[in-house]
Amino acid sequence: MSASPASRPHAARNTLLRMIAGRIGAAFLTLILVSLVVFTISDLLPGDAAQEALGQSATPAQVAALRHEMGLDRPAYVRFGSWITGLAGGDAGQSLVANMPVGEIIRERLPNSLLLAALTTLVAVPLALTIGISSAMNRGGRLDRALNVATLSMVALPEFLVATIAVLIFSVKLRWLPSISMLPEQATWGQFFETFAMPVFSLCVVVIAQMARMTRAAVIDQLDRPYVEMALLKGLSPARVVIRHVLPNAVGPIVNAMALSLSYLLGGAIIVETIFNYPGLASLMVNAVTSRDMPLLQACAMIFCAVYLLLMLLADVTAIVANPRLRSA
Amino acid sequence: MIGDGSSPFSRRDLLGAALGAGMVATAGGILVPAASLAAARPQPRQGGRIKAATMSLSTADTLDPAKGSLSSDYVRHFMLYNCLTELDRTLRARAGLAVRMESSDQRVWHVRLRSGVTFHDGRSLTSADVVYSLLRHKEPATASKLAAIAEQFRTVRADGPLDLTIELGGANADLPVILAQSHFAIIPAGEKAFRTGNGTGPYRLAAFTPGVRTLGRRNADYWKPGKPYLDEIELIGIPDEVSRVNALLSGDIHMALAVNPRSTRRVNASPRHLVRETPSALYTNLIMRQDQLPTSSGHFVAGMKYLMDRPLIKRALFRNYATIANDHPIPPFHPYYRAGLPQTALDLDKARWHFRKAGIGTTRLPLYASTAAEGSVDMASILQEYGARAGLNLSVSRVPADGYWSTHWMKHPLGFGNTNPRPTADLIYSLFYKSDAPWNESGWQNPRFDRLLVEARGEPDDARRKQLYGEMQGLVRDRCGVGIPVFISLLDGYDRRLKGWHPVPLGGFMGYAFAEHLWWED
Amino acid sequence: MSGASLPTAAPAPVPAPATKRAAFPARALRWTRRLPLSGKVGLAFVLFWLVIALIGPLLAPYPIGAFVDENVFSPASRTFLLGSDYLGRDVLSRLLHAARYTVGLGAGAALLACTVGTGLALVAAVGRGWVDELLSRFMDTVISIPSKILALVMVAAFGSSLWLLLLIAGLTYVPGNYRIARALAVNLNQMDFVSVARARGERRAYIALSEILPNMLHPLLADFGLRFVFIVLLLSALSFLGLGVQPPQADLGSLVRENISGIAEGAPAILMPALAIATLTVSVNLLIDALPHRGRN
Repeated sequence: MSASPASRPHAARNTLLRMIAGRIGAAFLTLILVSLVVFTISDLLPGDAAQEALGQSATPAQVAALRHEMGLDRPAYVRFGSWITGLAGGDAGQSLVANMPVGEIIRERLPNSLLLAALTTLVAVPLALTIGISSAMNRGGRLDRALNVATLSMVALPEFLVATIAVLIFSVKLRWLPSISMLPEQATWGQFFETFAMPVFSLCVVVIAQMARMTRAAVIDQLDRPYVEMALLKGLSPARVVIRHVLPNAVGPIVNAMALSLSYLLGGAIIVETIFNYPGLASLMVNAVTSRDMPLLQACAMIFCAVYLLLMLLADVTAIVANPRLRSA
Repeated sequence: MIGDGSSPFSRRDLLGAALGAGMVATAGGILVPAASLAAARPQPRQGGRIKAATMSLSTADTLDPAKGSLSSDYVRHFMLYNCLTELDRTLRARAGLAVRMESSDQRVWHVRLRSGVTFHDGRSLTSADVVYSLLRHKEPATASKLAAIAEQFRTVRADGPLDLTIELGGANADLPVILAQSHFAIIPAGEKAFRTGNGTGPYRLAAFTPGVRTLGRRNADYWKPGKPYLDEIELIGIPDEVSRVNALLSGDIHMALAVNPRSTRRVNASPRHLVRETPSALYTNLIMRQDQLPTSSGHFVAGMKYLMDRPLIKRALFRNYATIANDHPIPPFHPYYRAGLPQTALDLDKARWHFRKAGIGTTRLPLYASTAAEGSVDMASILQEYGARAGLNLSVSRVPADGYWSTHWMKHPLGFGNTNPRPTADLIYSLFYKSDAPWNESGWQNPRFDRLLVEARGEPDDARRKQLYGEMQGLVRDRCGVGIPVFISLLDGYDRRLKGWHPVPLGGFMGYAFAEHLWWED
Repeated sequence: MSGASLPTAAPAPVPAPATKRAAFPARALRWTRRLPLSGKVGLAFVLFWLVIALIGPLLAPYPIGAFVDENVFSPASRTFLLGSDYLGRDVLSRLLHAARYTVGLGAGAALLACTVGTGLALVAAVGRGWVDELLSRFMDTVISIPSKILALVMVAAFGSSLWLLLLIAGLTYVPGNYRIARALAVNLNQMDFVSVARARGERRAYIALSEILPNMLHPLLADFGLRFVFIVLLLSALSFLGLGVQPPQADLGSLVRENISGIAEGAPAILMPALAIATLTVSVNLLIDALPHRGRN
């Protein structure tokens, strides 16, 4: 019952391509569905942009007037319809509160979020893989136990606590790093590093544990299989067995866990964005919820969803490519 | 009337001394003397760049003064624009863009503008700009925050290039004070886009990204000689309080608005920083709706007022950065405060007696609180704790801050409100206590109060006004379904090298108008 | 990685038939003794927190909402064993009350997330292609709804209750568990022994539950452990929104959150709840990791 990943060259590449095309099509449907759901449930939220803009001290007449001004007195389906037709034409609409197009606001914030996510990925993924694989290979050993407790403790502390402690030590006490992450316009590499050191660290603390633990579990799961024993009996080195035989089989759950963790880096960065005052998308969206700025909220939700779908697609494709048994599925 | 003796008023520091010297308050404003009391004050210096952080960070950040709704907006607007009048540390009006404002009946006001004032783009200030700036508040499309107040402007018309007349719907002796709010800042006639921040203020707009930052550069042509002092002010928002304080202590910013009382120990422990306290009329109040059961019972209201452990609230919630209040909105440091009113204090026996009279029994009463009303969740916990001892079964219901004002505020029999300091006693009473006020939080009805309010508004004699406002304080304390335990002080954190500060009880950061007053001294 | 040796035999015990007849305490003791040290530590802490969750409030020296200390953020003392919090309340008492919310809601919501997620994943794995497609797209949609909006809408619609809190915390993590479980299940579904079972003509439900599920249990348990951690941390964020645990009660995460301003002075009011969360969540995971697991060997 050897499950060694015998590659089947005839396994059609076309199947894969067709699957990717199908998924991209499905992604569009999902996006529309998401926009509809987000629109509907945020419409259920008490209060609207007019009311939130005028705040505590608004009279009903003022609210009604502003509502009309913002076009909020139209029925929901009309608003949704005009928003989505606009979007189809490449126009994400006008922000209800910021007096500028949504596209312009997003253009400013999205690169920030992507940069933070990319940096975190660069640090977190290799680290998580290393931790996970070395734990698995030392299963039960001292290293395994140490890494296990370390990663668990990292994730077990509330994120805001980790970030705050880091600020207290490195900004307030030592004054090495800035406590708020606003990159100067012409930043040097040093400033770049200083700005991102703590946010990236805080995010890594959150995402590494899950990736490392899933890697460890998936690798161990494979190590228990007979083919591994057989390979070892044949005299292959453990490292070689892991890299050549175990990883390709374990890659499905691993990349899925990674994609999930990484998708967290955009929307889930809210706490890090708050504490380091980093102008990213997550805080923008929370802001949009609070001010009921629907076009902006929709745009943010769409971006998060699209990134998530993309990551999932990448994960699935990677899993299929790595494990040819799935190709025929 | 507001007089301007031409020069020394550019130095705000003289103000306290001047008023202390016993200046006469006259009909419709105050007279400030031209006499300069050149005290041995440190001489302000020019130069320096600072970063100041408020607590708001929102894409709703605006350059339109009428739309200002967040602390960052007020600060920004006072950097870029001027109002007709300015407020001093006792919330009295002083000359701003108007050199004179006078009225014989408190209803029709004649305004004379300062000459030689220019906007940042070089245009001169004229009465047309003022007419435009004031009247736009009445248009719904403007979405002015002060539209309700602006309704009293019956007409605003230009009488000459520098003269204009403001006609009110009814007499209002407070008009000069009202016009000192940042919302009524003067913008060039016809301004609609609000992209450049073109005003007459001490700073020119160098960069502005809503929700991120505002950068102001010193306006060398500012009409106040020598001012402003700082070369550059960068205004950012750090909503998280702990982060704001950390940024201050690590030297990333030099001023932090709204420091939590629990952080004061940390800030004051730093050799380079200090907390500056502004006693204010800010309060978080218990609302007992008078049109719902069982809170409409007078006995219930009285019982709840006896249930408040004010010293505990002052100490535990605000680390003593608060002033004990007496269930009415006028703080002890207010000129119209009535001193003789007996102070209500915690008395469980009296509370129990009142609750028994009210016939509440052990019915479970939900008490709605939210972080939206500062300190209300903890106040609710305190009330619940003491209520249990006085035989009252309160259950705290914490609701989301999001949408609190539109969904929960004033909608439950028992809840909380939070009221910012207003520049005049009239405003606070008209907005929150008048029977037909839109935010008559408890829904109480008191014809006597309403009559006194209108009378006081048009009353030119200050002593008589004080008497009227005094009686109203008694009425609110005894009858109104609002419980005010303490007035909350405003706390800001500063780098010690920033000099020239004095408190303005309207808000932190010197009533948000620090930009032209502070200087940097290494 | 060089020099690392692969354990050739898993420490998984082979339960002897005789143990089944032994009395429960003896069996439990034997089972415990077989656990590695980390498992024993984990088990001890898990049991400790279970006990606290059950009887904690009885042990509390003060009422949970009582303002007993004039000072705030006091250090530990004889009167206040764990110091006082930001309002001068006894930290120990609050901690003892809070544990039950965190343990109960955390475990409940994690269980909910994993049961629903894995259940649907199995359906997707053994079901027809369109079922898989439909479920996966549905999950993509669910995960893309900002949880803050969802929470606010739910509170606005149904008011605040502990059940709602449990439901939202659980549902938030269903799609994540679904992704992982589906990846595992689809992988297993292609295995030879499943093909054999299918060839035998077994029903889909049997294949899912008897062939696939047992073989993915270990990674799933690991996932459960992590979901538990995330949910424990999420609870405080949701409570903060006004969902669920109402003051003066609080869960452990909320205790950390409400005392955050005491961090600079290292007040026990913030360190102790953080430590409580850490010991609870880490020990749950240590225990899970140490569980003997059956792979299809």
